[in-house]
Amino acid sequence: MEEKTVESIVNEGRAYACIQCGKCTGSCPSGRECGLRTRKVIHMARLGMDIYKTEELWDCTTCYTCQERCPKDVKITDIIIELRNMAVKNSFYPTMAEVPKIIIQNLYSTGNGQPLSPEVSKIRSIIGLNKEPLDASTNKDTLKKFQKLLDGLPLMQWGETQ
Amino acid sequence: MKYAFFPGCIAKNVYPGIEKATRLVSAKLGIDLVDYEYSCCPPPGVIACYDKDSWLTLGARNLSLSEKDNHDIMTICAGCYGTLHNVWHTLKQDQDKMEFVNEHLSRIDTEYKGNIRPVHFVDLLSKMRDEIKQNKEIDLDFRVAVHYGCHYLKPSDVTGENSEAPKILDEIVSLLGCESVPFKDRLTCCGAGGGVMSGEPDLSLKIIDRKLKNIEKADVDCIINICSFCHMNFDQSQKKLHAYDIPVLHLNQLLGLAFGFKHKHLGLHTNLVSTRDIVKKVKGAKRESMK
Repeated sequence: MEEKTVESIVNEGRAYACIQCGKCTGSCPSGRECGLRTRKVIHMARLGMDIYKTEELWDCTTCYTCQERCPKDVKITDIIIELRNMAVKNSFYPTMAEVPKIIIQNLYSTGNGQPLSPEVSKIRSIIGLNKEPLDASTNKDTLKKFQKLLDGLPLMQWGETQ
Repeated sequence: MKYAFFPGCIAKNVYPGIEKATRLVSAKLGIDLVDYEYSCCPPPGVIACYDKDSWLTLGARNLSLSEKDNHDIMTICAGCYGTLHNVWHTLKQDQDKMEFVNEHLSRIDTEYKGNIRPVHFVDLLSKMRDEIKQNKEIDLDFRVAVHYGCHYLKPSDVTGENSEAPKILDEIVSLLGCESVPFKDRLTCCGAGGGVMSGEPDLSLKIIDRKLKNIEKADVDCIINICSFCHMNFDQSQKKLHAYDIPVLHLNQLLGLAFGFKHKHLGLHTNLVSTRDIVKKVKGAKRESMK
């Protein structure tokens, strides 16, 4: 697969069709509360600027409302996700992108983004469930295979570059 | 009817009442659930934002597990659904990505073919209206605020849903005797997704604070959701904000109550926001129905 550039992301996501109407910014539940201006993100990407270095990219909750409402069918949320991928690839982590790394570590060690705590394990048995659910961490061999799969994936390589 | 059951991290490891309710309700409705050694979906907001190709591969591993037995995979969380459905949809259309995924899966002697479909539990319910009515023991008569969860509805060219005017959840709660109360901005995001809840907790709280304010004005008995991740956000954020007192139930827990299961078997007592008033109302309704 070919390496992505801002230009290829713009083309793939149809950002060239943007008429800067601002419906995206007006629909954004996050932009109401913070500095995220979706229209600006798309415009900067279209101009070929290094928008992936901007921290506001990480304010998006990926709710897809902007993409849904875009009158020109620009794949806005998909573009934001691709730009985040690009930021990670270039080791450009804003501080808030640090925390989700814990989720990746959890994923590796337990197969779950959100691992089971002893307290919840107790609740499980009280309400009549298996103390521990059947999943990728139940069987040692399964977890080992899962970790082997993760080891060779780009996700783990970039997680280590920081 | 047999389905591979994908409970997801939150329903397994944080709010197990949701998993329990799903098992109880499914058994009543004649849906056989089969368990597999799934990993986390992984989340569309966090893992896909780090590396989309890895997200596709891990999602495809999950899909491949029940493919051998030809069971479609059923989720109870909009986040898990968003991942699995989007992975399925992407790999169906993109041969290059399919090759990438299978190259990696072959390292652990696995192959993904794309022969099974991911569904959300609510999609099954929409075709089981008669069974729901037959199994209903108590008319619940609650005023509820329904919350769909973004990734169940959007992007609609992938999900096939009507993202601006969905009805299914409103219709199912009304089958149980509840009234879905309109409230301002009812379809907006709860603020948890995209890694925002873990990465920028203050921003996430601002988004849900506005949402909860609108729900509070609608004067409802509880919030009903079909997403374990939104469920966690709604329940935990009320405590973090030191405000509001609106019980949060997953749709499957509401179904469980209507089908006559005890609240403790559905894990309602393990929520942070007290569900005492809900339980009281159920007991009242039960007495009514016995008259």
